Amino acid sequence: MSAKQVHEVVIEATNTLEILERILRVIRHRGFRISSMNSVQMNDCNSIKITVTVSGERGIDLLYKQLEKLFDVSKVSVQHMTTI
Amino acid sequence: MKATEFIVNALRKQGVNQVFGYPGGAIMPLYDALYDGGVAHLLARHEQGAIMAALGYARAGARVGVCIATSGPGATNLVTGLAEAMADSIPVVAFTGQVPSALIGVDTFQEVDILGMTLSCTKHSFLVEDQNDLDRIIAEAFTIATTGRPGPVLIDIPKDIQLAEMACETVSELPVLPPLDGLVDEEVTAARALLHAAKKPVLYVGGGVGMANAVPELRELAAALDIPMVSTLKGIGSADPEHPYYLGMLGMHGLKAANLAVQESDLLIAVGARFDDRVTGKLDEFAPNAKVIHLDIDACEHNKLRVANVAITTDLKLILPALKMTLDIAPWRLHTLEMKVDTAFRYDHPGIAIYAPLLLKQLSASLPEDHLVACDVGQHQMWTAQHMTFTQPENLLSSAGFGTMGFGLPAAVGAALARPDAMPVVVTGDGSIMMNIQELATINRAKLPVKIVLIDNQRLGMVRQWQTLFFDGRLSQTILDDNPDFVALAAACGIPGETVVVKEQVQPAMERMLASDGAYFLHVQISEQENVWPLVPPGVNNGDMLEQYDEC
Repeated sequence: MSAKQVHEVVIEATNTLEILERILRVIRHRGFRISSMNSVQMNDCNSIKITVTVSGERGIDLLYKQLEKLFDVSKVSVQHMTTI
Repeated sequence: MKATEFIVNALRKQGVNQVFGYPGGAIMPLYDALYDGGVAHLLARHEQGAIMAALGYARAGARVGVCIATSGPGATNLVTGLAEAMADSIPVVAFTGQVPSALIGVDTFQEVDILGMTLSCTKHSFLVEDQNDLDRIIAEAFTIATTGRPGPVLIDIPKDIQLAEMACETVSELPVLPPLDGLVDEEVTAARALLHAAKKPVLYVGGGVGMANAVPELRELAAALDIPMVSTLKGIGSADPEHPYYLGMLGMHGLKAANLAVQESDLLIAVGARFDDRVTGKLDEFAPNAKVIHLDIDACEHNKLRVANVAITTDLKLILPALKMTLDIAPWRLHTLEMKVDTAFRYDHPGIAIYAPLLLKQLSASLPEDHLVACDVGQHQMWTAQHMTFTQPENLLSSAGFGTMGFGLPAAVGAALARPDAMPVVVTGDGSIMMNIQELATINRAKLPVKIVLIDNQRLGMVRQWQTLFFDGRLSQTILDDNPDFVALAAACGIPGETVVVKEQVQPAMERMLASDGAYFLHVQISEQENVWPLVPPGVNNGDMLEQYDEC
């Protein structure tokens, strides 16, 4: 079994009712597991900032691009944390 | 003005003059607005038929398909079609009725969380909470469905919202999208350098070419490069089939020359294609010596399955002209041409029984120039891809990425409305047609001149073939020797037809079918033992194809 990479992913998105479901579904389906998560409504109430720590064997670039493609997502940033 | 009248006005503003659907309780307000709203509506006999018709309409007519269903079971019956649209990148906007806002979440009659259910099979989706958002939502839905990589969008509208009065009755002007980013010089230079250095390049053409409306650009590039080309199932019709170095479909049931050329190549130029498993076979042995230039509008496809040496995210209409050059690959051209000739299909099938590949080749040669073929999924689908010739990608409607049995008949219904001057043909199997057989009644109701060619082997033929080859001949649940009398079934729906069982009956029956004014049902009985060849077995590379003569 290959090593898992751990990344912190920060996502800024429109604060729709289902935005968390959209994002979490993509993370799961594309092969990543969430170990921690924080979601904060931004000051304007119309947007939300979600910080997730994910691990997976696939390249994080695949997840980054899938998240960035979501219509409600305005910004995604990724930081490598560790290898397990 | 009620919200539903506004929706119909907004559809007209989007240029929609044909929708597909099936009414029910929670969508009745919208159907009331459609009653005299100036948008034609085709009633399917099942919501899955409605959405597949919308997909056929979109694919054949290069426009957005629109379908409408009620809440609950109406909405869930759309799910397969949405997934189909997602897999094959088909622009469709689906409207679903929802129970009244106050009753969402209390397990109301015909309530289902369709937005939650379809998150994974829509490009985007909306639950309308305020009727005054409809103007923005409909505009966004059509924009999302059609831009970038096309796909399905769902708009779920509670019944009370449909009945509400609009504060503003004017449909906004459509947003003008900013132009796409231009080409990046460094990327184009890198791609051109790889192409210039290649001795054995192959152009690997996918469905993205047709979706990008880039068939002319592809053909001009192919003419300039004079390069061997292969096609995915969805790419068929994009490359000029008369091009001397066009080798046909590649992959699991691809043509041998196409697969061998790719395996031997030193450069693959993937154009709107995505290295699907049915194309690559064993991925790590696919085109093992090839560098890759990957051109696609969707960045998610780059480096997903095959790492590209140069990956360019762009509109194919922009990048293809930028790659024109003269290639010094004469020995490679000659080699691929020899393979093409040496491995060409043979049609000298012995005996009197009908040989489906020959029949489809005859059909292809007999069709009027303006035609379209919708097929279902299975052996007949692969034979259609192998043995019929298509000159435009919108002339072959096939459920490629999702493999949806039941696609063909309703897709032809939609396609017939999108292209009334083209002869609509369905090539289907006895398994597939039963999946949406109710749409025979739609064909009759709408008086559509759909020519249905049913290749009947009294089996779920593709599964039967795999059972024979890979499961010790244990024919589990694939024998259909108790099929209905198909010609009588068609007749019951007002569609004339006939059955053919031997080769010499084929041509005259086909001529009767093609000469008929309306719909026609040609029931073709073939041997249950026929297999689709060649075949790349699971777990091996595309160079190791099983062929017909391996059978004995």
